[in-house]
Amino acid sequence: MSRETRTAYGFLAPGLLLFAAYRLYPLLEGLRLSFTNARLGRASEQWVGWANYARLVDDTRFHVSLWNTAFYTVASTLPILAVPLGLALALNRGALRTLLRSVFFFPFTLSVVTVGLAWLWLLDPVVGPFNYYLRALGAPARSWLADPYTAMWAIIATTVWWVTGYYLVIYLAGLQDIPRALYEAAALDGASGWRSFRAITLPLLRPVLLFVVVTHVIGSFQLFGQVFVLTGGGPGDATRTVVQHLYETAFQNFFQFGAASAMAWVLFAVILVFSVLQFRLLRGHTEY
Amino acid sequence: MARIAGRIDRSRVVLTAALLALAVLWLSPIAWVVVTSLKPSEHIIRLPPEWIPWPATGAHYYEVLLGSSRTARIGRAFANSLIVATGSVLLVLATSAMAAYPLARMRFPGRDLVFALLVGSLMIPNAVLLVPQYVLTQRLGWLSTYQGLIVPEAAMLFAFGVFLLRQFFLTMPGELEDAARIDGAGPWQVFTRIVLPLSQPVLAALAIFAFRSAWNDFLWPLIAVNKPEMFPLPVALALLRSAYSSESYGPIMAGAALSALPLLVVFVVANRRIVEGVRLSGLKG
Repeated sequence: MSRETRTAYGFLAPGLLLFAAYRLYPLLEGLRLSFTNARLGRASEQWVGWANYARLVDDTRFHVSLWNTAFYTVASTLPILAVPLGLALALNRGALRTLLRSVFFFPFTLSVVTVGLAWLWLLDPVVGPFNYYLRALGAPARSWLADPYTAMWAIIATTVWWVTGYYLVIYLAGLQDIPRALYEAAALDGASGWRSFRAITLPLLRPVLLFVVVTHVIGSFQLFGQVFVLTGGGPGDATRTVVQHLYETAFQNFFQFGAASAMAWVLFAVILVFSVLQFRLLRGHTEY
Repeated sequence: MARIAGRIDRSRVVLTAALLALAVLWLSPIAWVVVTSLKPSEHIIRLPPEWIPWPATGAHYYEVLLGSSRTARIGRAFANSLIVATGSVLLVLATSAMAAYPLARMRFPGRDLVFALLVGSLMIPNAVLLVPQYVLTQRLGWLSTYQGLIVPEAAMLFAFGVFLLRQFFLTMPGELEDAARIDGAGPWQVFTRIVLPLSQPVLAALAIFAFRSAWNDFLWPLIAVNKPEMFPLPVALALLRSAYSSESYGPIMAGAALSALPLLVVFVVANRRIVEGVRLSGLKG
């Protein structure tokens, strides 16, 4: 082994140890656990083959969670793409933009629990300000989080508010990379603002849009904190998510580690499929 | 010409005004948290909503920081979060800088494989690792300990840190390193005396990103900690909710406001760095 090789691995060693122990090993160990009947405190676990996966086929609560999570992911994608993009376009130039960017970014520095508590209080059906102002405007007040038809939408609104700042910064960076000369040329040719948005901004932002969608989908399928604080999965199971189901299976109901690991791998597979599909869809035909 | 310019100006003004209105609306949930936390309990549930907390009181802050015995004290949780976030920032910075350096600057067998493995791992959803990570931490005897939070939080960000720093090291001119080497400096000296000092901006961006991530993480500590005195802030806050919700939002909102404080300070002091860190995080896509 050359001296440089030894030096290189010497530098890499602490990080690779951390990575192997807390990323690589858990990934493989989780796969193994999903084929066993492991439980917390059970001395000897047995190989059960595909039994954990087979049980998921009949687990209606798992189906509901999967459906809710998919619904959330799909329903939130458009607002997550559009709201920060609209803001980024408005804040790319102009007065006060630094201040305004900071304002829209700020919620992203908060923890999901802080965000959840703030909105819980805001949306309080009796004494929350949101319903008060709705009533003042003549609209009907609702208990948004207790109604199965609106609870998930309230969670989506909360999340959009929370993460818009993050995507705003990503979009702004993408917009900065588009040469201004293109817009000037388009303006000389008499193109309208909308036209140059369609013909220049959107196509050139495509890699950024892809990043936003994939990041958002990976995050959405792991939705947990907002639900935990805002609804606890309710009303009924209307906002129950896969990670919540996994969390309860593994850490609240008899600590069924094998069954929970099978759920984790199904979730992983679903996320991979979605990500690959999006790569195909959005990367498909990029033409400049 | 003048008329067109005037029209553009007017639409600019309208746009700015609309954005300002939206910004006020955007901050109102946070403002409502702070306003509520400063009101005496009997004023909190008054309608119409009162946006000026007068008379103001610090009683809820006193209650959650020092007074209450019903839940883990927020004061203690605050300290726990500070220790965990600081520890994991230091661990991420040290391990990922050391790993990124040879990946950017040295030639050795296995380099591309190691890098591909790290980049590939960015696609692993954290929730998938939850159960085996718990089993491992339990075997190590690290449940409800600081290292049981610090090490996994650092591991979550390690690959991203390597990616970010390697990118930066690749763009650094090599002349200074060469000069130091000619003067007889070993690799470790080159790394600590030359490379690290030149990388301060990107290290700061990574540090803030890692701090935010560890300070705000909820799911892992919810599982890995079962002693109330070891709860970090997000877990303690979530439990505060069930302890108080029937009586008053005051203490809950005081806790929520306190939890936002450190990052608000970082944000005001180093706004640029945070935004830079986020922007760089987009590069991995």
